[in-house]
Amino acid sequence: MPVKIGIFLCDCGGSLRNIDFPKIRGNLAKLEDIAFVEISHNLCLEEGEKAIASRILREKVNGVVIAACSPELCEDKFIRLLEGLGLNPNLLSLANIREQCSWAHEGDVTEKALELIRMAVNKARLLQAVERGEVPVNKEVLVVGGGFSGMKSALELSQFGIRTTIMERESTLGGKLKELEGFYGLETSPKEMFSSMTRAIEEDKNIEVLTSAEVARVQGEAGDFTVKIRKGGKESSRSFGAIIFATGYRTEILPQDFELKPGVNIISQQKLVEMLQAPERLERRPETIAFVVDFSDENSRLPTLSTLNNALAVKEKLGSEVYVFCKNLKVDSEGAEKLYREARERGVVFLKFEEKPRIHGEDSRVKVEARDVLLGEEVTLLCDLLVAEEKALPPEGTKTLSSMLNLETDTQGFYQDENVHLYPVASGRKGMFFVGACRGNLDLSRALTDISSALVSVYELLSPGGAMVEVEKVKADSQKCRTCLTCIRICPHKAIRLARVDSEKWVAKIYDLACDGCGICTAICPAKAIKFEGYSDEQILAQVEAIGE
Amino acid sequence: MNKATVVIGGGIAGITSALELANSGFRVYLIEREAAIGGQAASFCCKATEVCTKCSVCLIPRKLKEVATHPQISILTNSTVSEVSGKIGDFKVEVLRKPQYITPERCIACGMCAEVCPTEPKAILPPSPEAIPYCYVIDETRCLRLRGEKCNLCQGICPTTAIAFDLKPERQELSVGAIIVATGFEVFNAREVGSLGYGRYPNVLTGLDLERIFNREGYLKLPTNGKEPKNIAFVQCVGSRDESHGYCSQVCCKYAMRFARLIKHQNPDVQVTIFYIDLQTAGKGFAQFYQECQESIRFIRGVPVEILPTPSSKLEVRFENILAGKVERETFDLVTLSVGIAPRKDSWDLARILGINLADYGFFDTKEPFNSVETNVEGILLAGTCQGPKDIPDSIAHGMAAAERAMEVLEKCQ
Repeated sequence: MPVKIGIFLCDCGGSLRNIDFPKIRGNLAKLEDIAFVEISHNLCLEEGEKAIASRILREKVNGVVIAACSPELCEDKFIRLLEGLGLNPNLLSLANIREQCSWAHEGDVTEKALELIRMAVNKARLLQAVERGEVPVNKEVLVVGGGFSGMKSALELSQFGIRTTIMERESTLGGKLKELEGFYGLETSPKEMFSSMTRAIEEDKNIEVLTSAEVARVQGEAGDFTVKIRKGGKESSRSFGAIIFATGYRTEILPQDFELKPGVNIISQQKLVEMLQAPERLERRPETIAFVVDFSDENSRLPTLSTLNNALAVKEKLGSEVYVFCKNLKVDSEGAEKLYREARERGVVFLKFEEKPRIHGEDSRVKVEARDVLLGEEVTLLCDLLVAEEKALPPEGTKTLSSMLNLETDTQGFYQDENVHLYPVASGRKGMFFVGACRGNLDLSRALTDISSALVSVYELLSPGGAMVEVEKVKADSQKCRTCLTCIRICPHKAIRLARVDSEKWVAKIYDLACDGCGICTAICPAKAIKFEGYSDEQILAQVEAIGE
Repeated sequence: MNKATVVIGGGIAGITSALELANSGFRVYLIEREAAIGGQAASFCCKATEVCTKCSVCLIPRKLKEVATHPQISILTNSTVSEVSGKIGDFKVEVLRKPQYITPERCIACGMCAEVCPTEPKAILPPSPEAIPYCYVIDETRCLRLRGEKCNLCQGICPTTAIAFDLKPERQELSVGAIIVATGFEVFNAREVGSLGYGRYPNVLTGLDLERIFNREGYLKLPTNGKEPKNIAFVQCVGSRDESHGYCSQVCCKYAMRFARLIKHQNPDVQVTIFYIDLQTAGKGFAQFYQECQESIRFIRGVPVEILPTPSSKLEVRFENILAGKVERETFDLVTLSVGIAPRKDSWDLARILGINLADYGFFDTKEPFNSVETNVEGILLAGTCQGPKDIPDSIAHGMAAAERAMEVLEKCQ
């Protein structure tokens, strides 16, 4: 079919006075393939849109050039207009003659405007329609990790009737929730939360639980992931439309210069929780307990929260003297400042130092030494129990899983890159999401927000029309592809795989739903086999040729 | 059963909720009190040095554009909610729309009205570059016509008949299934801490002032003489973690450090000092950023109690240096107060209209602990800083969470 282009020029209510529109029209009308050049005053308004529509329908063009204001303001409007007329929106080519031309310069800019429009015309000649189509998606979701975030994710998904499989590495669900003592000042306890969630999961027909199971391999793309699950030495395959990672965090006691002696009580938060859960089993009540937090690890939001909660629990259940040695108290989570105030009111003493206190064992007690700046001298505290500083770390296996799946991690090793353009919970791969503490130091309130956020995205993907794509907007030419695998290695979204074309040849295939349209593969392909419609070499060069013609 | 949602507030949380709902096929009415959506964060500046410092401000324009052109979203600017009745799945929301004189749907921002406006400075102002809708605004205090004189120049020249002076406030009733409240925050008014001299000494600024100055000018100069300040202090926790604001605002340490880095990047000779109580560095990648800051920025533990002018028109800051254990004084050219996030003063009115509870300090209250989205009224949900302090990424996550809850409500009510 011969190219037939319609050109619409907008003079923005007659305000673009430094452009000679009739002159431009005369010039453009002489070009080949042009069906008409129409000057309008208000393309972005209802009457302008109507004018575009009637002219396009009358002249039956197969290419449209609009020279108007910034695409930022009007592109979406025009795309929708063309769609409504049954014309493929990819056949639209825009020239910004207001912000980037008329407004940017003093004096007459007719020549520049003409060049910008001619560039758009040259591009329009080569544009090809890109159809939209829906990719079939599997409606089941895999949740990796059976702690608080994982359990809650599955329960929430079930509210939308989405079938979910929870995969947990340990033999039981619950994760860190089982290691928390309490939420000070709240009626609900971690224990109750855990048991009510477990009950709900057991009764829920939409949720399947696989314990002692691990991800061995994941293939495929959003909408159709094939997951190899390792359980009890055996591997089995299952298909899912989306995967939510809720692998949580682990804590580790930071190595400090302890001079430990047998019988000296330096313990972890978890050990303290065990003591608090059964205080009657203690041989004797500890008179003095000290906590150490935030000296070696800046990312101490979660350790600070457990310190505050546990310090208050000690006060309540054991009545001991409590000291908290810290550098900066991390109170940037909901309710943390309130806990801190409460703790101080209950007599917990907070001692802030820039330098780490020195800790020794002394008979059966622990000696904490630090320099008190107010007194200007060394102070020593003898305590019965010292709760050591802990660091929140990504759980075991995060590195293996992230490199296997091409998922990004931050400098701490937690999931999700420090890239602000990745919205919360999103990953570089479509259909894969991170929720809760596995993507950083997130407290329960933030984790719950995460779960809901991930759910919206999953819901969008799995609901009808959610997997609409532009079909083969980026496409590898099977004739030109030399199967060098460069694109497969470089694609940050794992959107390219090998596909068999005949008995001998495999070529790169780009999966539309997984593709983010970044264009890296197009630029890097040594055989120039990958074409990004709208940005092909011919289309770009044709635009450049229009300059200074 | 109604599948539409009203989102009250067009800031980052509100527009996120609106977009997520609209993308899932639900109808949304986005109600904004101001003439343009975008909220407070839209006026913030990019804080990149040679690298991006991840302040997230750049996420907003993109979202605004999507909202503006989304066929499922109706934006009602200059509007407030005046009455709400009904219950979950079937709310009636009465919206009051103030006249705007220039109709956003008709304005093409050609600027001819401002050209002919006879007052000086002009009474018709161009929209800020990021404003959505991109529409001129009339300043009622300067416009001759609105002050009772005879002037018709702008109306005469407007090519799209977008200007009308005889508009009356409009009332509109919307039927919706769920309501998302995303009314945002108020920046703490630093004048309330009189001893720090904000409003009295021109070289005492707030974090918000800095955002606007950098957005407009791109660099910092002394309000008094236009010269570059050589010695700058930041004071943390102004309006946070005190008796009437018993919470951490969660954003001030981060923006102060980002500004400090930006200032040092523009001129390494400038001295920057940050006074703090506890540094909050727990955000993603922020611990490393703090380490880098420590190389060039001075951190002093202790919050200033008083700021006084010196005869040489500098500012003397008196503070307790907690680590040194004594009260000290130092002079600076410019002091920035890192003001925190406070609840909106009019939250009380909206709480009464909606029948939802207020929590400590005046933020909207939630139904149960940890669940920061649901209120005591079923079907009314919270998004963003109207529930409590949040940074931009947290507000986006919260906006998405509120959208998810609203979808659940709408699905259930079918």
